[in-house]
Amino acid sequence: MALIKDQAEQQIKEVVLDESARKPHKKAQPGTPVKGSEAVILSLLAEDVDTIFGYPGGAIMPIYDALYDFQDQINHILVRHEQGATHAAEGYAQMAKKPGVCFATSGPGATNLVTGIADAMLDSVPIVCVTGQVGEQFLGTDAFQETDVMSLAMPITKWCYQVADPDEIPLIMAKAFYIARSGRPGPVLVDITKCAQQAKMSKPFYYEKRRQIKGYKPASVPREKDIVKAAALIDEAEKPFMFIGHGILISEAQQELLAFAEKTDIPVASTLLGLSAFPSDHPLYVGMLGMHGNYAPNMLTNEADVIIAVGMRFDDRVTGNLSRYAKQAKIIHIDIDHAELGKVVQPEVGILADAKEALEALTSHVATNKHPKWRAEFDRLHEQEVEKVIKKDFTSYGEPIKMGTVMKMLSEKTGGNAVIVSDVGQHQMMSARYSRFNRTDSWLTSGGLGTMGYALPASLGAKVGAPDREVVAVIGDGCFQMTIQELGTIAQSKLPVKLILLNNNFLGMVRQWQQLFHEKRYSFVELQNPDFITIAKGFGVPGHVCDSFETLDESLNTLLQSEGSYLLEVKVEKEANVFPMVPSGMGVDQIRLE
Amino acid sequence: MKRRYTIIIFTENNFGLLNRITIIFSRRRINIESLAVSETERKGISRYTVVIEYEEEKITKLIQQIRKIIGVLVVFHNEDDQVYYGQIAYYKVETRSAQEREKIMEIAYRHQAKVAFSAEDYIVIEKTGKEDEIHTMLHLLQPFNVWEFVKSGRIAVVKNQADFKKYAKNLEPEGWYSDEEFYELKLHQPFTNGN
Repeated sequence: MALIKDQAEQQIKEVVLDESARKPHKKAQPGTPVKGSEAVILSLLAEDVDTIFGYPGGAIMPIYDALYDFQDQINHILVRHEQGATHAAEGYAQMAKKPGVCFATSGPGATNLVTGIADAMLDSVPIVCVTGQVGEQFLGTDAFQETDVMSLAMPITKWCYQVADPDEIPLIMAKAFYIARSGRPGPVLVDITKCAQQAKMSKPFYYEKRRQIKGYKPASVPREKDIVKAAALIDEAEKPFMFIGHGILISEAQQELLAFAEKTDIPVASTLLGLSAFPSDHPLYVGMLGMHGNYAPNMLTNEADVIIAVGMRFDDRVTGNLSRYAKQAKIIHIDIDHAELGKVVQPEVGILADAKEALEALTSHVATNKHPKWRAEFDRLHEQEVEKVIKKDFTSYGEPIKMGTVMKMLSEKTGGNAVIVSDVGQHQMMSARYSRFNRTDSWLTSGGLGTMGYALPASLGAKVGAPDREVVAVIGDGCFQMTIQELGTIAQSKLPVKLILLNNNFLGMVRQWQQLFHEKRYSFVELQNPDFITIAKGFGVPGHVCDSFETLDESLNTLLQSEGSYLLEVKVEKEANVFPMVPSGMGVDQIRLE
Repeated sequence: MKRRYTIIIFTENNFGLLNRITIIFSRRRINIESLAVSETERKGISRYTVVIEYEEEKITKLIQQIRKIIGVLVVFHNEDDQVYYGQIAYYKVETRSAQEREKIMEIAYRHQAKVAFSAEDYIVIEKTGKEDEIHTMLHLLQPFNVWEFVKSGRIAVVKNQADFKKYAKNLEPEGWYSDEEFYELKLHQPFTNGN
């Protein structure tokens, strides 16, 4: 049977190959100079790029023409909007652990990338965007589809460069990839004029991966003296507390983190982006920090005597009011970005290093320890959260479905092994709170920028980056309509992404704030939604609605058992609120349980 | 408390770097008092002198953000007493009579300025010096009708050579900070302890 199927596929492949064989090949002969456009593709191949997310257009057409001859070596995913390309590249990059690549044309193509690039910048995700630009002679003439992409990209990229000479392409692409992935990763943009794409290089194509750049030196190993100082603080601490962030996942320091935490018996709390770096069911794990994080870690931030913060940046959503933040604690801050040390809170010991290297060094310097009394305080506070919040977040029979229940059941069904890709809003906080992570790299969301519409394209990118993982996107009804067109990409590229739409017919988080802080004056937060299932079906993605708790279990089974992509729309409680909550302007110890 | 800082930046001479640097200031609503950019004696390397008034407790964070820019090789800030600095100014002054011309020239010479250009009905005085000197000169010339006045941004050299040398190492073609230097430079501001 399998053989027959293979044969059939083989035949189809041959037909396709025949089809393209009739078109002339334009690849340059080996040893002869190539055009700039082909140099771009060859550079990508030299960087082991296997996937591009993109959208063609006038100014990038020569590159797409070159790509035509390389379809057997590079997979191109045609998105429906350039923003989708950037988020897909983000999802891909985080799962595949290498830079994601986007193509877009000049003008509107490039401006559509802006949101996704800004998102990648704030969340330190390596993506390489290649944009076409009008010919050099048209620059500055308000030519058709000309925008000053460099000026747009500058504040939101780690690095950007405009190429007008084909000879520069291999050098610049090598620099772009090196910058995107090294140190604190981030987005880079390479803008290539149409002339540079069309012109031939003056010398044969030669590519060398970049390993260093003058004036740019990503930190790696920590200084011995910093480690010794930090270890002394940790050994003396009676109430040590560890904060972990995205940096753990980026530097792949999960094992080192586990070894350190277990040796020192220090409770571990995660930021939103650090989720899944530490197993949720580990006895040392105490939950999430921040505005809608868990009660105990927020309260005890202001009790700890030593805080060890690794690969996190004390975002304002984590710290709340800074004048009330961890004033009693001595802080050890480990980060690869020197500008983060002392940016928000002044550390007692700032360690400029890669998280993996730093944790490894720290573990060998610290003494084995036990903190039963301190850890019991977390348990005590957690019980209060269970009583006042967590119990109420789950549906009982006869009640409307609550987001917490959906996420809890999903976690149970996937064994905490699926990749959860969450959008932005109440459902994001509920996903973060009630997903249990058994496996690392299982959580993707837009944290820093809070980009609604992130999840759908990011989930398709994640699936491409990790085809063996189950990828489930959790999306709100507001977010869904921001990038809904990417259903087309999912269908066309046959990506079996599972979609859960948590529909409360509201822009829920804004509504919650209006309820709590604006006297319930609901100003433009209620949505008249379309029939999402019909829309999905129109795109070729099957789905169904679940509107009662009794059918939720079965509905989730249908979703997870579906071979291809599937949309499950869950009608959830309309006016539910996310608690605990540190109200804006308040300190972490002023967190509200109701 | 706000203080005046002279920030010296060395960069690669690339398109757009000036833009990237000024974005750091404009994003934080910092008004640039003066800015001077030119190529250094080393080809392909530019030197920026930026003067701002900024809070003492925030200046290091600002410098760190500039230091993060790729293409920026060296950044440090100085207070006025740590640098020798100056500006250049031109004053185009109307001369209605030979007598008036004489008077203007006399003022110029008394203030170590020179006549840079002379036309039938005006002369151009060139003056280098500190901001207050340039303004005093303007004040003195005003009775004679100053048609045009312009001054450049501040340029400055660092007084403490040992510290400067430590920084400038990164500018040599093969120069590269050692790990220890790298940490010192990234984490601290050696110039504040220098001098």
